Amino acid sequence: MTSVMGAGPTPMNRPPQHGAPTQGERPVEPLVFEKSVPGQRGVDLPPLDVPRADLPDGLVGEPVAMPELGQHDVMAHYTHLSHRNFSVDANFYPLGSCTMKHNPRVNEWAAALPGFAQLHPLLDDEQIQGALRLLYETRCFLQEISGFDEASLQPAAGAHGEYTALKVIRAFFRHHDQEQRRIVLAPDTAHGTNPASCTMCGANVVAVRTQDGYTDLDDLRRLIDEHGPRNIAALMITNPNTSGLFDSKVGEAADIVHEAGAKLYLDGANMNAILGKTRPADFGADVMHFNTHKTFSTPHGCGGPGAGPIACRAEFSPFLPVPQVMMADDGSFYLDRDRAQSIGKVRSFIGQFGVYVRCWAYISACGADGLTNVAEKAVLSANYLAARLADVYEMPWFDPAAGRYCAHEFVTVPRRLLDKGVTLNDIAKRMIDYGVHPPTMHWPVHDCLMVEPTETESKRTLDHFVEVMLRIAEEIERDPESLGEAPSDAPIRRADEVAAARNPVIVWEA
Amino acid sequence: MDYTQITPREQTAMLEAIGADNMEPLFGAIPETLRFRGDLDLPPARSELELQRDLTEMAAHNHGPHDMVCFMGGGAYDHFCPVLVDQLIMRGEFLTAYTPYQAEASQGALQAFFEFQTQVARLAGLDIANASLYEGATAVAEAVLMALNVTGRRRVLAAATLHADYLAVLRTYLSDLPVELVELPADGGRVAAATVRAHMDADTAAVVVQSPNVWGQLEDWSGCFDAAHEFEGTCAIAVFNPIASALLKRPGDCGADIAAGEGQPLGVPLSLGGPYVGLFAARKRFLRKMPGRLIGRTVDAEGRPAYCLTLQTREQHIRGAKATSNICTNQGLLALRATMFMTAMGKSGLREMAEQCYHKAHYLAGRIAALEGYALTFDGPFFHEFCVTCPRPVTEIVEAAKRRRILAGIAPHGRRMGGIGGPNDLLVAVTEKRTRAEMDALVDVLEELGG
Repeated sequence: MTSVMGAGPTPMNRPPQHGAPTQGERPVEPLVFEKSVPGQRGVDLPPLDVPRADLPDGLVGEPVAMPELGQHDVMAHYTHLSHRNFSVDANFYPLGSCTMKHNPRVNEWAAALPGFAQLHPLLDDEQIQGALRLLYETRCFLQEISGFDEASLQPAAGAHGEYTALKVIRAFFRHHDQEQRRIVLAPDTAHGTNPASCTMCGANVVAVRTQDGYTDLDDLRRLIDEHGPRNIAALMITNPNTSGLFDSKVGEAADIVHEAGAKLYLDGANMNAILGKTRPADFGADVMHFNTHKTFSTPHGCGGPGAGPIACRAEFSPFLPVPQVMMADDGSFYLDRDRAQSIGKVRSFIGQFGVYVRCWAYISACGADGLTNVAEKAVLSANYLAARLADVYEMPWFDPAAGRYCAHEFVTVPRRLLDKGVTLNDIAKRMIDYGVHPPTMHWPVHDCLMVEPTETESKRTLDHFVEVMLRIAEEIERDPESLGEAPSDAPIRRADEVAAARNPVIVWEA
Repeated sequence: MDYTQITPREQTAMLEAIGADNMEPLFGAIPETLRFRGDLDLPPARSELELQRDLTEMAAHNHGPHDMVCFMGGGAYDHFCPVLVDQLIMRGEFLTAYTPYQAEASQGALQAFFEFQTQVARLAGLDIANASLYEGATAVAEAVLMALNVTGRRRVLAAATLHADYLAVLRTYLSDLPVELVELPADGGRVAAATVRAHMDADTAAVVVQSPNVWGQLEDWSGCFDAAHEFEGTCAIAVFNPIASALLKRPGDCGADIAAGEGQPLGVPLSLGGPYVGLFAARKRFLRKMPGRLIGRTVDAEGRPAYCLTLQTREQHIRGAKATSNICTNQGLLALRATMFMTAMGKSGLREMAEQCYHKAHYLAGRIAALEGYALTFDGPFFHEFCVTCPRPVTEIVEAAKRRRILAGIAPHGRRMGGIGGPNDLLVAVTEKRTRAEMDALVDVLEELGG
């Protein structure tokens, strides 16, 4: 291997240092409250131009203890904090299942246009025809990409989409006098949101075994028999699944579920791998959600906002949440708020409009061929990384010689390295020293890393990542204990998460 | 625009490394019968310049607070936001990071969320707060779910004066659970403490009261929550407005156990209703039952202050079906916006903003009430929003104002606000952004249509 790196870690991007107080060698960024100077203020307001009114008796409180900083210090504080954060812009960020792709800035520009960003949610439909057109077209895009007849843009995030869809399924069954269908089956490797969403809908979750990363169809049949086909509401699957594999037997699973009179729900977290290659409606799903922040590059924003639109077959249409964006016969657009069988509202107002502006811009930039290209490059990149690393990092389900490829992400359980006496956490934290954001850990199986490079990384970045991973493996061979010190080149050394949970401090008290 | 970067030549090399002749084998797991072989029916790909043109065109077909004077509220308010917030929030280090699972690579976001939690707790007058929920309505629903979970009881009392969407979402969230939702009727635009008392019983998990409420009226939180607490363990849930909290008594000051609210007024663009940010605060005893992400302060291996996600065993990715909530992705970037906004405004700025809202709203209310044919619908105290009963159907007034490029307010009678109130009611909100001249112009329109 020709290394592009010297003896020590060469970060892909070192967070810039700044002149904050230090403890040891590293700067410590004081809390904004610690920087507060009484009387300071970051921005002013015009003088009051009306007479003062009497304040209501007994209802007035004291000013709230917000930090007091001058404008320059406000800027400096958040700029310093930004330097202490990895991001897709600055770092390789292969967080499996999260699809951390590049975020085009034209999308941000669009969402900030005054004609979008400053629209009040209760304006009349005629005042927001441009916005409603955008929402309607987005709805159509999602229907086309999924192959479904209907889509609802109401849910605020993926988990909220699951919740909404499960409510819709329950309303459907209630309407068909099958309210007893309360059991939702989900693979034991499902996203944690799946069972949690079921609970919130009053459904009972039963785990289906997985084998070699795939849903075990025999176990699925057994569970349906055991609980009674009449009691099953749905099977919730992710496909490509949470092991990074497209489940070839998804059609068969759909048949089994449909035979029981139940519905197949698709968690669309991994849509990036199949855009334009196969459509959920084609492989037997009945309802699904998208994660726009994953598949359609509406940015992740340190944990949101996302959007979790759902798409479904026409039979569910009457039950979708309100409002629904519609096109009238005259080509104008309106929000339909009167749907007698709707499950009702799942959030206030109209939905994550600003997120859909970005989603529309992304899909419109790509077009049909572009989306297919996204899937191809995402899958190519993941398989390339897997192929380059498989000799050192064992991959339980990746074997190109046997025709077993991964989809857009792969799972490694680096057993040989772990047997040298390092923990998975040691490996992950060492990656931070090299400027790489660690992949998803311990999920879907214990001691695994799940790596998702996405389609927007260059080959150069992918190659660099391979070298980082091989170098870490060498370090483990040479001196496994040294990894226990990692990270050594980050704003902090390893955070004591155990202490944080044992003695929780979640607000600042001076 | 193609955002991928792998060249055809690189693709060939990569396929070679994989041991595949072309792309087909990589998709071989998809059975041929399930493959989509057509072309997606989508508009052709667009360049960035074309996107800019098309989006500008679409945005130009919208009219609202950006080109009209806005007196609309109803749960979303046209507040001032300093430019520095818009600039800072676009930093890629915030925009393009995800949930801070890896503490050492995410100290910036973690510290900012910890500061956000502190600010929200202080605004609510309560001990603790989480790192955000989706928006106001689901925050209220989550508060109720937490109260049900903590108390093990099955009855919820919610003021009929809650925002119509909040009530609607609450109905949705409780509809498949073995729970009874009772709406507390209002009298004169507010819910009386005696009404709460009359509906209480030992199976009541929560009493939910919003102030300012859907009419802009300030409720008697203290009285209502005292009535709730006559039964031990009942959770008093205050639905609050963060700007009002900078001037008025906060949920915690009035005996609330849990506070939930819409954070949009804290520097978040109106954006046709989202993305917004749900605020959620509570007393310390609820810590392990809280929904959503919590950031904790700790130390690193060398004793430096450090921040990390904590108490994750409450959450869906650990606890699955027994999690306190299903929420995963929250509203991180909007929480960052809100914390930047609160820091930029500071203690005195936030107070002044709230005071200006109050005084301006009272100025306008006084002027409208003095017009012939117009009267304030309710006589209770209000903050920055009030209801006026007009001498003619409010749709006529709204249309006339539109022609003067004024958004006069909201017709609560319409479907969008749940069909509350009468056909002549107009809900008017006034923020610090409105000038005396703008308010006088609205008064002129009303005067012309009055009498």
